[in-house]
Formats: sequence, C-alpha cells, structure tokens
Amino acid sequence: METMNKLGRILLVEDDPKDVELTLTALEEYNLANEVIVACDGEEALEYLYSRGKFKTRSSGNPSVMLLDLKLPKVDGLEVLKRIKSEEKLRMIPVVVLTSSKEEKDMVASYRLGVNAYVVKPVDFHEFVNAIKELGIFWAVINEPPPGSVRK
Amino acid sequence: MARSKLQLRIAESPVQRYGLAVASVTIAIPIGLFLEYHEFHRGSIPLFLFAVALSAWYGGAGPAMLATVLSTLSFDYYFAPPVHTLNFTLADVPAFFFLLTFGALITGFSAVRRRVEAELLQARDRLEIEVAERTQQASLLNLTHDTIFVRDMSDSIRYWNRGAEELYGWTPEQAIGKSSHELLRTVFPSPLDDIQTEFLRTGRWEGELTHMKADGTEVVVSSRWSLRRDEQEQPIAILETNNDITVRKRREQEIQSLNQELAKRSMELEAINKELEAFAYSVSHDLRAPLRHMAGYTELLQKKASSDLDEKSKHYLLMMLDSAKRMGNLIDDLLAFSRIGRAETQKTLFSLSQLVREAVTEVRQDAEGRNIAWKIGALPDFYGDRSMLRLVLVNLISNAIKFTRTRTQTEIEIGCADGNGADLVVFVRDNGVGFDMKYVNKLFGVFQRLHDSSAFEGTGIGLATVQRIIHRHEGKVWAEGVIDCGATFYFSAPKPRGHVWKP
Repeated sequence: METMNKLGRILLVEDDPKDVELTLTALEEYNLANEVIVACDGEEALEYLYSRGKFKTRSSGNPSVMLLDLKLPKVDGLEVLKRIKSEEKLRMIPVVVLTSSKEEKDMVASYRLGVNAYVVKPVDFHEFVNAIKELGIFWAVINEPPPGSVRK
Repeated sequence: MARSKLQLRIAESPVQRYGLAVASVTIAIPIGLFLEYHEFHRGSIPLFLFAVALSAWYGGAGPAMLATVLSTLSFDYYFAPPVHTLNFTLADVPAFFFLLTFGALITGFSAVRRRVEAELLQARDRLEIEVAERTQQASLLNLTHDTIFVRDMSDSIRYWNRGAEELYGWTPEQAIGKSSHELLRTVFPSPLDDIQTEFLRTGRWEGELTHMKADGTEVVVSSRWSLRRDEQEQPIAILETNNDITVRKRREQEIQSLNQELAKRSMELEAINKELEAFAYSVSHDLRAPLRHMAGYTELLQKKASSDLDEKSKHYLLMMLDSAKRMGNLIDDLLAFSRIGRAETQKTLFSLSQLVREAVTEVRQDAEGRNIAWKIGALPDFYGDRSMLRLVLVNLISNAIKFTRTRTQTEIEIGCADGNGADLVVFVRDNGVGFDMKYVNKLFGVFQRLHDSSAFEGTGIGLATVQRIIHRHEGKVWAEGVIDCGATFYFSAPKPRGHVWKP
C-alpha cells in the first residue's frame, strides 16, 4: 500500500486491555496497526518517550501521534500531557486525548495543557471504529508530523 | 396674693409707711403725757421705742428712722426739762442716747430682716417653680414606655418611672432607696469597674444588660446611662434608660442558630454535591467503558460469525447491540441531566425566535421525508442561559416530532403567550398522540414514560431535563394533552427586566 511508506508511529497509552484490543482491531481494519506502541500506564508512556526502563533500547525518534487515555494507573493522562508539553524535546509531539470522559473540566484541563485534539470514545462500535480510523489516517498519514518523528 | 400669709404686712405706699411713723409717734405723745400726768415718769421712752419698732415692722427702715428722729424731738419737747422747748440738758443725755441707740438698732435689725425675708421669698419662688417643673417632667417621664430611673453615685435609686414599674414589677415606693444593681441583679457585659471608669470619663454609656424582674424572670435590656453633674462638675446622679430587647435578642439568637444550621447544611450539601460530581464522573468514565467493550466485541462477533449463525442468533446479537446503544444513551442523558443541576447558568439576553429556528433546524433531520406544517409565532427576547434554553427547545420540539410520527399531516406550533405580566409563557403544541391528563404529574419525572418504548423510543429524561433547566430560570413547566388529539407543553420564565413585548 502506498500509504504504508509514510505511516507514522502511533503511541497508544491505554490501561484497559479490551480497549487496547478494540483499538488495535479498528486500526488493523485500515492497515494502520503495524507501527503502534502500547503503553499501559502513564509511567510506561513516559519511559517510552524518554527511552528508559523497558524502552531503553528502542529505536530513536518521537511518535507521530500519541493517543492518550486520561484515567490511567500511576501517572494519569493529564499529568503525562503536562510533562510532555513542558519538555522542549517532547512538546511538539501531537497528543490526542482519547477518553470515555465527556466531562467539561477534563476537556478544559486538556486544552489548557495544550492538547492537539480531544476525542470521546463513542459507545457504538461502528462509530468507535470510524473515530479510530479517522484519527489514525489523519495523524499517522495525512498530518505532516514535526521533525524528528519516526516514519516508515 | 396667695403668699401674703408669710409676708409681713408692709404698707404699700411711702405715704402710708411714713404716715404710720408719724401717726405712731403722734399717738405715743399723749399716752406718754397721760402716764407722766399720773406720775409714771420715763414711761414715754418705751412708748417711743414701741412706735419706732412698729414703724420698722410695718414701714421699713426709712419710716423707722423718721420715727426715731420724731421720737427724739418729741421727747425733748414734751418730756425733757425744760419742757416745751427743744433745748436739752446734760441730765437728758442718757435718755437721748438710749432712745437714739435703740431706735437705730431696731431700724438696722429691721433692714436686715427685710433683706433676708426678701431673699427667702425669692428662693421660695424659685423652688416652687422648680418643683412645678420637676413634677411636670416626672409625669412626662411616666408617660414614656421606656424604662427610666435615676440613681445616685452610690447606686441608690432616686427616681423610678412607670415604665420601670411596668417592666420590672416593683413600685416606686419599693424601688426608691434600694441599690439598683442589687435589686435588678444586673449582669454586665464587661467588669463594672471598667464600665464606671469609661462612664465617668465620657458621661455616657450604652450596652446590653441582663436584669431580673420582681417575678424572677430574666430580661435583656438595651441600656443607656447619662451622667448628671452639679455646678462644681461633681457627678451627682445617673439617668438610666432601658429598653426591653428580650424578644429581639431571642429572635437574633434563633436567627443565628438557624444561620449556623444553614451553614452546616450547605456545607453538607456541598460535600454531597462533590460526591455526586465524583459519582457522575465515575459513571461517565467507568460505566461507559465496559459498555463500549460489550458493544465492540458483539459487533466483532457479528462480523466474524455472521455466516455461521442462524436468523435467531443474529437477532440476539442485534438485540444485544441495541441494548448497549440504549444504555449508552441513558448514561449520556443522565449525565447531561446531572450536569444541568451542577453547571452555573450563564445568563444573557438573546432572541428566542433565532434560538427556535436553530432548534428546529437541528431536530428536523430526524423528521426527513415527513410532512410537517410548522407554525412559529412571534417570539420575544429571552434572558437566560442560551445553551440550556436550546436544550429545552430541542427536547420539546423533538418530542413533538416523535409523538406525531403516526400522523399523515403533522402540525407543530411554537408561540408565546404574554403570561401573567411578570412572566413570559412559551408553548410547543402538536397534533400527535397526546396523553391522558390523569398522568400529567408523571410527565416531568426522571425515567417516567407514558408510552412503551417500542412505539416511541426514549430514555425518559428529556422532560425532566426541561423541568430542571426551567426551574433554574425561576420558571415553571406544565402540559396539557388529550389522547389522540395532541399535546401542548408550556414553560414560563421571568420577562427580561425593562423589556416590553407584545405578541
């Protein structure tokens, strides 16, 4: 596939394995899943970004987009977002909050911290698949990521 | 004159007074001569002194002096040898001396006496006036409802008005002479010594005291003290005016305790609200996730196994998906409903007709292909939270569309009645399936539905949301309906201030 050539790497930060599975399924459906890194909590996400711990030996470069859940064990999504946006090396990474929360305060807090998009996971699977597909295509394919991002 | 009883009768005119002197001496002469004739020598001197005394008593100093001079001359002429001449011999010197000295003494005493008497009279007059004034003042003080008493510097009660008698229950006779603080068992707001120091310095004091009445009940008074000083600036008395504020005080305490209670309640409420918020948040996040998973996996199963499944199994999967979707809607609606209760209203003045147009455009998408006659009347400006009001209109209009689904020709009317003056009344009317007025009270309850969900889908939260929003705008909601003849939903809200609107 033509698009495969310039598919960006996606960092999915999600603690619920079912959500991970469904998200990956949705991405697979549109062949967007082969460059997805999964971090199951905020700490792991930061470890990936800083190439520490479990990700010490990962190939260099920032992800083209980060799909971030808000409710996470250890370090929650807003905290991760805050850390990324206050770090010179990381602040350019596009971050999409992908959450169940429709709460206005979460939305306001996220935008205040400089999130690039805020998406509420639809209950309906069709809509969910569509949302993931569109997100994947937009951020991993259409959008020109900042320099230093990993692209295949 | 009323006071002549005390006043010595002094002849009024000088003629009378000096005439009296002349007359008394003139009368003394023949009496003296008569006594002389009967060999009673020297009897004339006391007679002349008596004449002088008489003149002094009734005529004053001047006539007394005249009487003395006349007496001396008369004595010389009539009684001192050589008789019938004004010559006098050395032998008469003691008699003259005696006469003149005593005459002068009597005159002097008389003058002093008269002056003293005059001063006395003056003082008495002043006193009488003062007594009259005081009596009047005291009776005036008795007229007031205030409690007034006067105490001296040793706290002994000197005056006790009727107000004091009425409030405390002691008569003036019982109270006067007693120590006020002991009688009333005064409780002071601060140490008495401090109060006294301040009071003596400024001459005034105000504060709240607790007193005990004769019947033993306590009374709280608002007390004002004024200090009275004499001419030497020495404090002599204290005027104490008290107002019974027991009832007011009790009310204040009641209000205070109610306020405390209220503050406690609102704190509790706030805590509950916070909990509720946390609950809503967790519902929003945690309940939705498993639901999404159920729907997701069911759909994956449907996709993967669809060719192996019989019609019944496919139907089951379909029902599972339908239920998941319905629950998702329920959660969304419930959250929206709870958000309305928590969110701040942001009120602005906006055009209601503009908002109705927006709402109609939004809900029209659900009614594509249907034949709907819209009738939108003139609408005023509305003061309220625009996005909340939009939700109200969307709910009411989409209900109207929903419940007219079975009609071949749908009519929906949106309009405004002027209401009862202070309020605007907006209505949404349809010619749909209507409802039984018997159940009108259930319409606006959460999860209350008057139709089965197979005929008309819905979560039963829409009208509850409408009601909650309108209540937050200090308005009312109500409805009228007839089965199979349509329904009208009304809501009212206060008119924007200073805004005149005629339909």
